[in-house]
Amino acid sequence: MRSARSIRKRGRKRTSSTFDLDITSLLDILVIMLVFLLQSTNSTGIIMTVPKDVELPVSQSATPSNEGVVVQVSPTTIWVEDKEVLNIESNLRASTDQGGRRIIPLFNELVKRKELIQLSAKSSPEANKFGGVINLIVDKTVKYSFIKKLLYTSAEAGFQEYKFVVMGIEQ
Amino acid sequence: MYRAPSRRKTKKEFVKPNLIPILDAVFIFIFFLLMSANFVKIYEIPSNVPIISDAEPPKNEKPLALTLRITSSYIQIMTGVPSSTLTRIGKTSDGFYDLEKLHSTLLNLKNRNLKEETVIFEPIVDLTYEEIVKIMDAARELRNTDPALFAKDKDGVEMRLKALFPKIIFGNIQS
Repeated sequence: MRSARSIRKRGRKRTSSTFDLDITSLLDILVIMLVFLLQSTNSTGIIMTVPKDVELPVSQSATPSNEGVVVQVSPTTIWVEDKEVLNIESNLRASTDQGGRRIIPLFNELVKRKELIQLSAKSSPEANKFGGVINLIVDKTVKYSFIKKLLYTSAEAGFQEYKFVVMGIEQ
Repeated sequence: MYRAPSRRKTKKEFVKPNLIPILDAVFIFIFFLLMSANFVKIYEIPSNVPIISDAEPPKNEKPLALTLRITSSYIQIMTGVPSSTLTRIGKTSDGFYDLEKLHSTLLNLKNRNLKEETVIFEPIVDLTYEEIVKIMDAARELRNTDPALFAKDKDGVEMRLKALFPKIIFGNIQS
């Protein structure tokens, strides 16, 4: 019996068996992940930072964001492109002119930004031209009387197009 | 002596495709997409600076000059030059503005003025930004449940309208 078995096995090569991992299920998961991530990819290339104190209102709007100077407004602070320009709580009254309609630090910063964009557009033909667009990231509790000041100051600084940044409704 | 052909020799071997390069590419792709993914959907509501023009309006066409004056108790819809009140939209029993009624009134107006796209907002009361956005949505967006509106484009082709009054202007920012 033993000799018969050895004769049968004689012709076969002795190969060390390798552990063959079945990766089909892993591939399935990766493909699903890929589709999900492709769907949620920001194709516009515009990055906007929403400060932690700012809660955006929800809107039905489906207009994608545009490139422009970003102004973030919380109930206490105003930022321009993440740089704090004014603490509203402590010194708003002292920081306004034209009958309280224009916020001076915001105006100065916006004018500076506008001139910077214009300068870079002059120096390089590939640089973006000044389009007069301002993206307003405003907390949902901010009152209209203050938003009016923001709009007026932006218009005075030369920005003709306001873009109110809102959170979309999941569909 | 005849020998039957061995089955082992004729048996076709199953060739497994080498998936490792694909897996590598997919992994790199996933990392790239993870970095550029935004899980919060951020959109925008455009608005323009009000401009006072000296130019005379076209004589053949009467401008709609749609204005929403928002007071603490109602939204006053005004049209025409000089403006006259069309209707007033009050609040519901919950204490919120009746935005459904506002939307249907504006839809009727749009039906009669298909080319008109501008609405002027004049909030008199100190509303919160969230309330303003809700009113803007009611004035801007055409919902799936709304009847389809068609207007002729420059080439005379009828196109389905995608928005109600998408151009919003805040008329009283200087006050």
